[in-house]
Formats: sequence, structure tokens, C-alpha cells
Amino acid sequence: MEPVKVAAVQAAPVLLDRDATVARVVALCEKAAAEGARLVAFPEAFVPGYPDWVWRTRPWDATASSLYARLLDQAVVAGSPATAVLARTARRLGIWLSVGADERDEAGSTVYNSLLHFAPDGTLAARHRKLMPTGGERLVWGTGDGSTLDVVDTGFGRLGGLICWENYMPLARAALYARGVDIYLAPTWDNSEVWVPTLRHIAKEGRTYVIGVTSCIRASDLPSDLPGRAELYGDADDWLSRGNSAIVGPGGEILAGPLTGEEGILYAEIDAGEARAARMQFDPVGHYSRSDVLHLSVDATARAAVSFRPGDDAGEPALPPGEPGSGPAEAGVTP
Amino acid sequence: MSTLRIAAVQASYELMNHDANIEKVAGLTSAAAREGAELVVFPEVFVPGPPIWIDTQPIWHGDEDWYALLARNAVVVPGPGTERLAAVAAEHGVWLAVGVDERERHGGTIYNTVLYFSPSGELAGRHRKLVPTGSERTVWGMGDGSTMPVVDTGLARIGGLTCWENYMPLARFHMYAQGVDVWVAPTLAMGDGWIATMRHIARENRMFVIGVNPVQHADQIPAGFPARDRLLPPAYLERNGPWVDEGNSVVVAPDGSVIAGPVREREETLIADLDLRSVAIQRRHVDPVGHYNRPDIFRLHVDTSPRRAVTCGHGIASDSQGGSDEHLGNSQRFTA
Repeated sequence: MEPVKVAAVQAAPVLLDRDATVARVVALCEKAAAEGARLVAFPEAFVPGYPDWVWRTRPWDATASSLYARLLDQAVVAGSPATAVLARTARRLGIWLSVGADERDEAGSTVYNSLLHFAPDGTLAARHRKLMPTGGERLVWGTGDGSTLDVVDTGFGRLGGLICWENYMPLARAALYARGVDIYLAPTWDNSEVWVPTLRHIAKEGRTYVIGVTSCIRASDLPSDLPGRAELYGDADDWLSRGNSAIVGPGGEILAGPLTGEEGILYAEIDAGEARAARMQFDPVGHYSRSDVLHLSVDATARAAVSFRPGDDAGEPALPPGEPGSGPAEAGVTP
Repeated sequence: MSTLRIAAVQASYELMNHDANIEKVAGLTSAAAREGAELVVFPEVFVPGPPIWIDTQPIWHGDEDWYALLARNAVVVPGPGTERLAAVAAEHGVWLAVGVDERERHGGTIYNTVLYFSPSGELAGRHRKLVPTGSERTVWGMGDGSTMPVVDTGLARIGGLTCWENYMPLARFHMYAQGVDVWVAPTLAMGDGWIATMRHIARENRMFVIGVNPVQHADQIPAGFPARDRLLPPAYLERNGPWVDEGNSVVVAPDGSVIAGPVREREETLIADLDLRSVAIQRRHVDPVGHYNRPDIFRLHVDTSPRRAVTCGHGIASDSQGGSDEHLGNSQRFTA
């Protein structure tokens, strides 16, 4: 396993402006790649920004509703021009690019908090949708299913991650450990001092590198036409997020950061072979598990609300007439 | 009253001395009770102390006499040691949690166990560590799923895991699901990384966490200890310093903030008042087994049955499946 340099980018998005934020991602990737980074990680919901207003508005009031409308409009769709730019950037620079996005299905009106991993071959190699939003976030984000808990092999280690307080879900972490994660991304909005101990704990629990990456944004960074800007936000001293990025080694030791109160890129040399060797001391899904006592099963099935069978699309009955289950109520719906 | 006063006793042990350490527990519990403590927690394997030689030299390398001492001084449950501990809890009207090297009355295997005694002098709970760490595997056996209790004191539900068991996500989840408010983490783990873990766990389940370590200086090894000169080789002391156990006790609130400790390199009993209301208040943020769980995706199965080496009975037992078939056959005959 070759040691490589990784980068955690603590920066401000252009809130609710997808294309401007994507352009910022591209520029910051160029900078990190010039420093030799092979993996460049961005914060939670970086494109087009974390919906910070959920903590400032009353639920469903007029301002919250206008902001949601803009979030929906500016959300990222996998396979759209925005992801094509990100994929091309990964290929052009020869990097793995992991970026948090407010993401939705092309024809969908629910936004998900997703982590997108672009590979150096220019593909979207993996996508994780946050399983459980936190508090006020539940007013703007849906919940992912068990099908996006993948880990992807970069060649220099298995890459995966969980978003923000998902990192307090022990079973979700156990699922990633079982997939063999070596490089664990934890994009977050959490600014608290106790977040860094959590990163250190996870590193030691999974004997994995942990890259915590946080946005750094002030009210003065917000676009002037943002709905509710004047009523919700103050001046330059009004921090939406001070940043809290840190990179931790598989023994729980801090390799870089925590960085707060300024934008910046953290770098660290990582070696997935060292993470795996550290599991001599602790392996939560191997010699330090008790599969006879404690067994976790994970439903990794993709769960769409509605699925369509080809027969239905063609207007033909999916089942012979008169068969149980062929009525209109059941047709096309997967149990 | 929704405040629980707790004592985390960071103390030195007298290495491999059952009776002396039981009496230490008695004395320190008395002192903590005078401070008003309602729950008093002692370190991992405080009675009769940790088998410190396993990390100071190669495995099985001239350790016969030391292991014999461990076996002889291990705590049998129930036995004179547990009777004395139960009496101490009753005398002072406290909940008492004590880590012990435990063995079966006629057993040759030692378990790393935490015992919980109630103020009425009952043994209210017992937890055998599920997986020992590294060299510990050469002296301790493994517990089964039957000893993972959460004990209801009437005021709070207490329970926990031992040392690096605290890194077992599934074991923690099982304990969380039993509604634990106050987490007891007896340990030998030193250093700042452990404190990060204590803080993480508190915030993960939004509960109080009590981490308790022993403290032991090389000079405190009894003068007459067998092969004392070999126990802590100079090279080991040079590399690790004179503290065999430097302590690391800490008390953490449900938001992950440290409310007492960490204390190192001295004996000290940390006293803290736990405002139990904050557990419920904090769980509106995260409840890992409630609103912040996804039971549609994750299903944890726990086998809580005691797994004895041998089960005795008449005839040749088949497995449980076969047994129930036979029973079904009988009932079918009766109904027919």
C-alpha cells in the first residue's frame, strides 16, 4: 500500500449557488492537487451549501419556504452537468474527489444530504445519502436507505464515510468497518469542541484514518439576494460555521488541525497499510468482535417509494387477469 | 430528587492480594459515603489487581508463581469476598461497582468482571468482559451475552463495559437499548485518546460516563512479591516510566463535556453530582436507539443466553431444534 497525501478543504460555499460553488470546488481541487493531494475532501452539503437557516427560521414560515425553493432549484442531480464538471475535474487532476452535496433525484422534490465520491477515471464511484438528518435538518432533508453504505477501493485504501451526526450511529459505523474502510470521511457542520474527540474515537475504534471536514462561512460570505438574509443574518462576526476540520490517524492521534476561524486546506500523509496493521491491537469486526453474541444485519436494499415494471409501462397486465395481486392497487408497487 | 452523587475512586491496589484490596474498597467506600456518594465505582480488576506482568515480558515467560497468585486471589462469586463487598454496600447504603479478577469456584480460568452491589446488600449485576485485549487473552477468558446487565437503582439505570470493550459498537448499542443513564467504564487505559473515547460515548448515547482507573507506582509493588526484580524489567521502566498505572479517571456529562478529572499520577476520589434530567433533555438531540436509529436498515441480534461448557441432563440431548420437534410430536399425539 503506497502512502499518499490527502487534503481536507475547509472553505465557504456560495450559499445556494450551485455553479459558483462547483467552480470554487474546482479551483480548490487544483490547489490541493498542485500540493500532491491524491484525495481531496470537501465539507457536508458543500454544494450548494449547508441549509443553516433551519436553525434560525420558524419551521415552514415564508422565509423558510423560499429558501427551500431555492435549495431545491440549486440542488445537485447525479448525472447532471454539475456532476459532470466534478467528474471531469477528478479525471483531469488524477484525484479522488469527495464532496458533500444537497442532492436530489432528477424528477424529485426531496433533497438528500449526500456524499459523492468521484474517481480519477472520471466516474461517480460511490454515493452516500445521510441516513438520519438532525433536528431542524429534518425539515429539509430526506433519509437515505441502506443501499448507499458502500466503501470504494481507491488503490491506496478503502474510502467511505458518514455525515455529521450519523457518526453517532454505532451500527452505521460498524457497517463501514465491516466493509473494510481505511479512509473514513466525516464531513460535518458540527463546530463543537467535543467533535474532535469523536473523530479520535472513531479512528481508534475502526483503526482507520478519519478526515473531518467542516465548512467555514460567515454572514458576510452570503449572497446579497439570499431570501431572508437581512432578518436572519448579521454582520461579518456572525459565523454560520467557524470550521472544525481535523485529520486523525488510526491510533486516534491528530495528524492535522483542528482548524477553526479561517479557511484553509489541511494535508496529511496516510498509509492504509498502517491502518490495517494497527488492527493487530483492535479490529471491531474481527478478533475484537463477538459474532456469537452480537450480530448485526444490514438491509442494503435500495428502497424506492415506487418502482415500475416494464409490463406496466407498456400498458400490459403484469399478471394474468384474475390472479390475486393483479388489481390496480398492487400494480407496480414493490412491497 | 433527580441528582445522583457519584464517586469515581482512583486508588492503588496491593498487587495480587484479595483481602487487602477488599478492605481498601471498604475504607474508600466509607470515605466516599461520608461525602454523600450514592454510587461508588472502582477500577477494572481492582481486586486483586491487574496481572501487570503480561505486558512487561514475553508471554508465559517465568510467570508461574505470578499466575498462581492471581488464581488464588481471584474473587469467587458468591464467596467471602463478594459477601464482604455486599456488606460494605449495605453498611453505607450505596450502590457499589467493583472490578474483579473472577473465577468459578472450581475453575481454572479467570474472567475480567465488574460486580454491582445494591444498598440492600445484594449482588445486583455482574458483567464479564466479552473480549480481553492483546496479552490479556493469555490470562482472561471471555464472557458470554448473559452478563450484560443494566441495573436500575430507582434513580438511574447504570451499566457499562470494561476497558477496550468500550470500542465495541455493537456491545455499546445493546447496552444503550437497555436504557442506560449512567455508564460505568472501569479501565486500565491511559492517555488522552481514552478521554476522547469517554467523551464520544457520552455524547453518542447522551448519558453520564464514569471512567475509573487504578493508579500504581513501581515502588508500590509489595517488597516480598515473588521475583519482584523480574516483574518490571529496567528496560520496561525506562520506556514506560515508573507509573505502572498512571490513572486517567474522568466524569463526563451527556453533552460530552468533562465535569471531573481527568486525574493522573495520584490517588483521588472524584465526586460529581449528576443532574439526571439532562439525559432526557440531551436525547432530543441524539437518541441512538430511538429517533436517531434506522431499525429498518440495521438489526442487531444479541444472544443473551448463558453458554456453559456443559449442560447436564438425562439421555442424549439433541439441539434445541430437535428438542422442539420432539415436543411437537408429543403434543400432536395428544391432540390426535
